[in-house]
Amino acid sequence: MRKILFVLAIFLGVLAPSSLQAEDVRVTATLSKRTVRVGEEVRLNIRVTGQNMNLQAPRLPKLDGFDTYYTGRASHIAFINGVSSANVEFSYTLVSQKAGSYTLNAIEVPVGQNILRTEPVTIEVTGGQASPAAASPVPAANFPQQPLPSSVPQQNVPQGPVQAVSAGGDDNIFVQAWVDRKSVYQNEQLLLTYSLYTRYDTRYEGFDKEAETSGFWIEEFPMEREIERETVQVNGKRYVKADVKKLALFPTAPGSYTIQPGSLKVSIREEPQGSSAFDEFFSDSFFTGGSFFARRQNRLLNPPPIQLTVKPLPDEGKPEGFQGAVGSFKVTATLDKDKVKQNEPVTLKLVIEGEGNIETINRPKLPELTGFKTYDADTNSKLFKTGNVIGGTKSFEVVFIPKEEGSAFIPPLEFSYFDPRKVKYVTLRTPNFPITVEHSDQSFQMPEDLSGKEIFQKQVKLEAKDIRYIQERVSQSSALFDKVYLVFKWGDIVLLLIFAVLLLKDRQERLFSKDEALRRRKQARSVASANMRKLKKLASSSKSENVGSFFEELERSMTQYIADKWNLSAYGVTRQSLEEVLAAHFGAADPHLKDVLELYRLCDESRFGKGSIPQASKKMGMKIFQETVNRIERMRR
Amino acid sequence: MRRLSVLILGILCSVSVVFAAAPEKGSDFQEANTCYRTGDYAKAASLYAKLIEKEPSVAVYYYNLGNADVRLGKLSAGILNYEKALILDPRNEDARRNLSHARGLLEYRVDDSRNWYLKATGEVLRYMTQREALLGVLIVVFVFLLSGIVHFLTGRALFWNAWHKFIFLLLLLAGLVAFGKHAQRDLFRDAIVMQKECEARYGPSEHDQVAFRMGEGIKVFVMDRREDWSRVLLTNGESGWVKNSDIAEVEI
Repeated sequence: MRKILFVLAIFLGVLAPSSLQAEDVRVTATLSKRTVRVGEEVRLNIRVTGQNMNLQAPRLPKLDGFDTYYTGRASHIAFINGVSSANVEFSYTLVSQKAGSYTLNAIEVPVGQNILRTEPVTIEVTGGQASPAAASPVPAANFPQQPLPSSVPQQNVPQGPVQAVSAGGDDNIFVQAWVDRKSVYQNEQLLLTYSLYTRYDTRYEGFDKEAETSGFWIEEFPMEREIERETVQVNGKRYVKADVKKLALFPTAPGSYTIQPGSLKVSIREEPQGSSAFDEFFSDSFFTGGSFFARRQNRLLNPPPIQLTVKPLPDEGKPEGFQGAVGSFKVTATLDKDKVKQNEPVTLKLVIEGEGNIETINRPKLPELTGFKTYDADTNSKLFKTGNVIGGTKSFEVVFIPKEEGSAFIPPLEFSYFDPRKVKYVTLRTPNFPITVEHSDQSFQMPEDLSGKEIFQKQVKLEAKDIRYIQERVSQSSALFDKVYLVFKWGDIVLLLIFAVLLLKDRQERLFSKDEALRRRKQARSVASANMRKLKKLASSSKSENVGSFFEELERSMTQYIADKWNLSAYGVTRQSLEEVLAAHFGAADPHLKDVLELYRLCDESRFGKGSIPQASKKMGMKIFQETVNRIERMRR
Repeated sequence: MRRLSVLILGILCSVSVVFAAAPEKGSDFQEANTCYRTGDYAKAASLYAKLIEKEPSVAVYYYNLGNADVRLGKLSAGILNYEKALILDPRNEDARRNLSHARGLLEYRVDDSRNWYLKATGEVLRYMTQREALLGVLIVVFVFLLSGIVHFLTGRALFWNAWHKFIFLLLLLAGLVAFGKHAQRDLFRDAIVMQKECEARYGPSEHDQVAFRMGEGIKVFVMDRREDWSRVLLTNGESGWVKNSDIAEVEI
């Protein structure tokens, strides 16, 4: 909101006539005290009051006997009855160098196109040193020590000389990543702080590359909305310093570690050196957004790696149930009831509270309990980040289900931790809770609030590996398989034969459907054979009326066979044409032709009933028919 | 239609004739099991071996003999018998587990660096016997022929419609599976190293340089066989010649 108002103020300031601005603006300079001792600091405030203002921080005139530096600005804008009023205060810290009486001349404040001036101010510096508290907490090597404002905190400072690591050769801005201790115990908290030192109007834009902290459990401290800033001197130069990020690290294993701190991204607006170098340090833009129309330059800052040593936890005095907790803790335990029935649950709640890596704390081991079934019901943890210390509470709920009636005890649970400050192990115990178990016929059931939750059911675990037992029955499935196999094997053979026959028949049918003469010729013999069987039946009959039928059938069969063989019409064929065909194939002088003709004559006789035909004639007729078929079949081959 | 009914009836009759009750296994098997149960593994092993001589196609005998061998500390013999049991009964989970357990006790192991599709194909084929693969082909051929016969008898234009295309594809697939199984069983024959230490050489003679050494129980694929030597391939792609007396083929 402040930012919006500030931008709005700039906008209104641009629109407002400059002549009005100068008329309505007042500038005053005040000192926090008029008399100081050598080395003591005094605060100078320059307040500019008016309607709307877009102001640069004024440059202080040269003041002998004092080191001066800019420590920030504060803005206040109000709208009352449609009229805006602004109030901007620029703060400076003056550190006296030697005794004497000094006058701070009029300070020029440019407002629009006009320049306003403050009234001159005098200040007395008396002899004698100021208290040690005013000394610089930053031991800067290789450059003269200069006093710094007492507002600089005495803690959280790098344990060693701050070295200016320039960004691209520019030592006006750098980042120092530092840890509060170079040697810690395993799982003991370590504080990693990123301190940004700058002489520019700077905007912190986060991390370009996160720190490489493998081997550490990390908890990040939330960044405050208003980052605390301070002014420090490094290598004879004044910087604004701000801790932009803090991490709590918990080393997981002992050893020597090198933390690569990553790289930070900032944008800066370059300003000329001198007092105005701190022009916008404490403007709203610092770490929050920057001037609205300012041209800014991006920088990547790479702090140097950090070396540290992680000591193993001492073996001496390590309790049996120690599970790696390091810090300072206390334990409380409560039982929800002290009288239960058999197979009813009773819940023990255990709370571990203190400073340390609370997330990695495990539930104290339960002793072997024969009279109870036990289940882990619930685990909760809350993390607190107070100051620079990580701590919190972790609670465990354990459900005990007594199996037998009578008096019983929920045994004490032991929680052990290593206290790195006292360099010793501490073991805490919960009380011994007596309970009374009343008789119940109810059989054991998983408590309702636990049933259906897989995590509360005990996992079946394999305790040993061995081969599985022999099989004592011979499966009949292989015999069954053999039979199925046999069925399909022979079934396939049978089906294949049937299929082949049907396939051949089908092909034959296709051929015959295209050529009827071929069908008659090919089927003539089988038709003749069928007729012959019929004739044999008739010939075996002794009835005289069957003699006529026999010769009638014999003539028809003979004629059909000859007609089929030479594709003659079975119904329109004449005796003459038959004789011609047979003569053409047998030869006119062939004696069999004469037999055939004699047979036809005999058939005629039988048909017209000229005299009785002897039984032997039937045999002769059959013989002639058979021989005719045989001769013609041989001829065709 | 009448002819079709007769055909089906004939097939059903032949099936019922073939399916006769299986004979019960004799007391030798029970005795062997009792010996195993009481811890007399040596006697159990000899009884199981006798049973195998009588009935070499019963998977349970090989499995139980494998168990007795493992109990006696003969890992390579145990592995060989588990492999044989799996040839006859490839889906015997107990045999698979025990084979895996026995392999875990070996001194040597070989990485499987075959391509994933070879591994997958090998695994799929290992879940069926060669006869099962052939039965698949027989069943598809049966259906194929039956549908052809129905076509000839009923005169319906079944041929080369979608159904027959599907059956034909099945026939192809079944043929491929059967061929794969044939390749697995007959072309790349499995064998187990039976000696405690086995040297694989670059050639089939003692004069050739040693390529690698293996321990008992390692599974190899026999690629080639001479009078005294066999060329074997490992799953890691290495191959070498070993003496025939050092290995035993997994065959029934």
